[in-house]
Amino acid sequence: MQSPIVITGMGIVSPLGCTVDAVWQRLTEGRSGIVRQDRFEDVDFPVQIAGLVPSRGTDPVAGFDPDAVADRKERRKLDLFSLYALAAAEEALSQAGWKPQDEAQQRATATIVATGIGGLPTITASHSTLLERGYKRISPFTAPAFLANMAAGQLSIRYGFKGPLGCPVTACAAGIQAIGDGMRMIRSGEAEVALVGGTEACIDSLALASFHAMKALSTRNDAPQAASRPFDRERDGFVMGEGAGLLVIETLEHATARGATPLAVLSGYGTSADAYHITSGAADGAGGAASIRAALRMAAVPPEEIDYVNAHATSTPVGDKAEITSLRNVFGDALAGIPVSSTKSATGHLLGAAGGVESIFTAMAVREACLPPTLNLHSADEGMEDLDLVPLHARPVPVQHALCNGLGFGGVNASVVISRV
Amino acid sequence: MSKRRVVVTGIGLITPVGNTVAESWANIKSGVSGAAPIDFFDVSAFATQFSASVKGFNIEDYISKKDARKMDTFVHFGVAAGIQAIRDSGLDTGKNPERIGVAIGSGIGGLPNIEAQHSAYLNNGPRRVSPFFVPSTIINMIAGNLSIHYGFKGPNICITTACTTGTHNIGDAARIIEYGDADVMVAGGAEMATCPLGLAGFGAARALSTRNDDPAAASRPWDADRDGFVLGDGAGVLVLEEYEHAKARGATIYCEVAGYGMSGDAYHMTQPPADGDGAMRCMQSALRNAGINPEQVDYINAHGTSTQAGDVAETMAVKRCFGDHAGSVAVSSTKSMTGHLLGAAGGVEAAFCALAIRDQVAPPTINLENPGEGCDLDYVPNEARDMKIDVALSNSFGFGGTNGTIVLRRHS
Repeated sequence: MQSPIVITGMGIVSPLGCTVDAVWQRLTEGRSGIVRQDRFEDVDFPVQIAGLVPSRGTDPVAGFDPDAVADRKERRKLDLFSLYALAAAEEALSQAGWKPQDEAQQRATATIVATGIGGLPTITASHSTLLERGYKRISPFTAPAFLANMAAGQLSIRYGFKGPLGCPVTACAAGIQAIGDGMRMIRSGEAEVALVGGTEACIDSLALASFHAMKALSTRNDAPQAASRPFDRERDGFVMGEGAGLLVIETLEHATARGATPLAVLSGYGTSADAYHITSGAADGAGGAASIRAALRMAAVPPEEIDYVNAHATSTPVGDKAEITSLRNVFGDALAGIPVSSTKSATGHLLGAAGGVESIFTAMAVREACLPPTLNLHSADEGMEDLDLVPLHARPVPVQHALCNGLGFGGVNASVVISRV
Repeated sequence: MSKRRVVVTGIGLITPVGNTVAESWANIKSGVSGAAPIDFFDVSAFATQFSASVKGFNIEDYISKKDARKMDTFVHFGVAAGIQAIRDSGLDTGKNPERIGVAIGSGIGGLPNIEAQHSAYLNNGPRRVSPFFVPSTIINMIAGNLSIHYGFKGPNICITTACTTGTHNIGDAARIIEYGDADVMVAGGAEMATCPLGLAGFGAARALSTRNDDPAAASRPWDADRDGFVLGDGAGVLVLEEYEHAKARGATIYCEVAGYGMSGDAYHMTQPPADGDGAMRCMQSALRNAGINPEQVDYINAHGTSTQAGDVAETMAVKRCFGDHAGSVAVSSTKSMTGHLLGAAGGVEAAFCALAIRDQVAPPTINLENPGEGCDLDYVPNEARDMKIDVALSNSFGFGGTNGTIVLRRHS
């Protein structure tokens, strides 16, 4: 019998602030991290809202402090998505007690950190420099800052992790695929410990304009906190968020041997393709269902034993519906009795970081016996009225097994099952 | 249970030296360079004014104009190489599509279209940004589009690890088959980053050759006069298949994917450690995974990008990994002809390794006239060599200190 893979450390940077404890408290209190964006000024811009990571100035308790992560000189070489990953990793590795100085342990540590977009802000800023000031003013750190694998690379350099180093870039499923890749590396013996998850920080004018051009974003500019409303009849698109969610994973045997505390069990993982459309899910939800089934199969958990689903549900009219169809495909009539919530109602959609952050929320639901709510859900959309979507308020309830989904452009699906230790 | 074996049954190539496998491989064996002056945007202000770009490529040979409009050029290259590879494999794509997956990445992604859309935004405002901008530029869209084109419903992944991208996608794909999560994986990498910002970014990092007066002589791995890499474009994709699955349908088998290894340098953002430590551990790990001794390796397709530090570090890594045998291994860099295809390099070079095994010929390192200090292996200088190749290695190393090695073995 294989030793189960467990989570021993978790770290978060999110629109609800930094550190898992502070973010979890705010999430379960029903607070929203969506604000009027102030990253750039353009009063005519069609989208004025985003899930921004708060600064220390606006949030003295749990705001993000870049100086604590890297000094000003080092920050010149880092895009924001790498900076967030460094902060989340420090929290996760500290909790896990895994900062090995020993060469063999460093070699046995994998670093698999996903992103959906990578360093777009560095690309657009450099492009502006190129257009306005010419070739000679381009920073030598441009390419190493914007490359998508640089969050993982920077983490490996900072902590001396010399095992497998990777970066899945599968749009909004990337964070969950990073967790699945790390699990496979532990199973295959390539690594004993893996730092896994996702990071994203691409909220700039071009990113907002581009998702807006696809009609994917909410334009509820007058009520930012009500804009992300998965499953609600009045939803009008997702709210772009940013942040990072990283986890330290290892076998229970490895954790126990070194005296680390297992926080939750990563019991199953699955991934699949829709093979249907570049941006829309298939109406029958078969692709999403295939990845959920694969995760349940690996976990050896029958569908009826799932106590909670942290849905991908981004608050787009089409996407939320397709995911519910996938869930019905797997759970059948039993779905009405299984609580399903979307924490994107509070954080917005963190794209490649979503899977990392939401896996942590799922693990916390299991640990704390509490389901985070779907904010702004006042009237469930047609075809969902029969479901338990945990509207507005968190709910204390024991959770043995929970499912977390990530679905991305390109028709890529990934799911994890997280269980109580 | 013995481990499921993985074989290569199809190859597709779009490279600076040819838009088919046959043309690319013929030119590689003949030592033809694909480097040329850049004439598709104004380079007069740039320190480097040439590249190894793809020539005469037409995406409409593969997919409709309507679909092609929704994809940036790196996706075109990847999709075309994928279609070539699948055709070459003779696979019945409609049979068990949920057991067929795709693993194709890119190191950079849609930089040319990001530039174009950013300019559109700056000049005309947010409402002029194309609705196809996101799906045309995000890196997982080669895997996504191939999956949609053929209906492949198995694992759909996209590893993005700078210049190790292609190798990591092939290695991870092989592992997915080995672990039983798929029977067939279409795997590799694609890149098209020869655009103002790509050229400026790598130029500013002082990574590129500036030999503007003689582009064909600019990529010269291990040569004393090397002065950086040449930016290359293209794609290399393999069809990987579980051995029994390939045998049962009577597929032509190029070779077996015998092993795969990865490591992190944990050293520096853009430079390797001088002793090649990460690269050495990566090759060791791949050989261990393959159950092959260093003495059994006949040929290494090196990462060999033609940079000062990188070429010496890889040489050191080979010496430390292979010991006394290092001098007996043929080590060449096909980047001397293709330039550095970044995220596509691992895909293209794995294909060259498979062809080297099939034809029992080691491709040359061109422009190697006078080996530089610390460069004293058998680099197969300037002429291809007919030789026995039972086992070949393909190395890739990327910014961030990310390494990958695959081991290919002749199928008997």
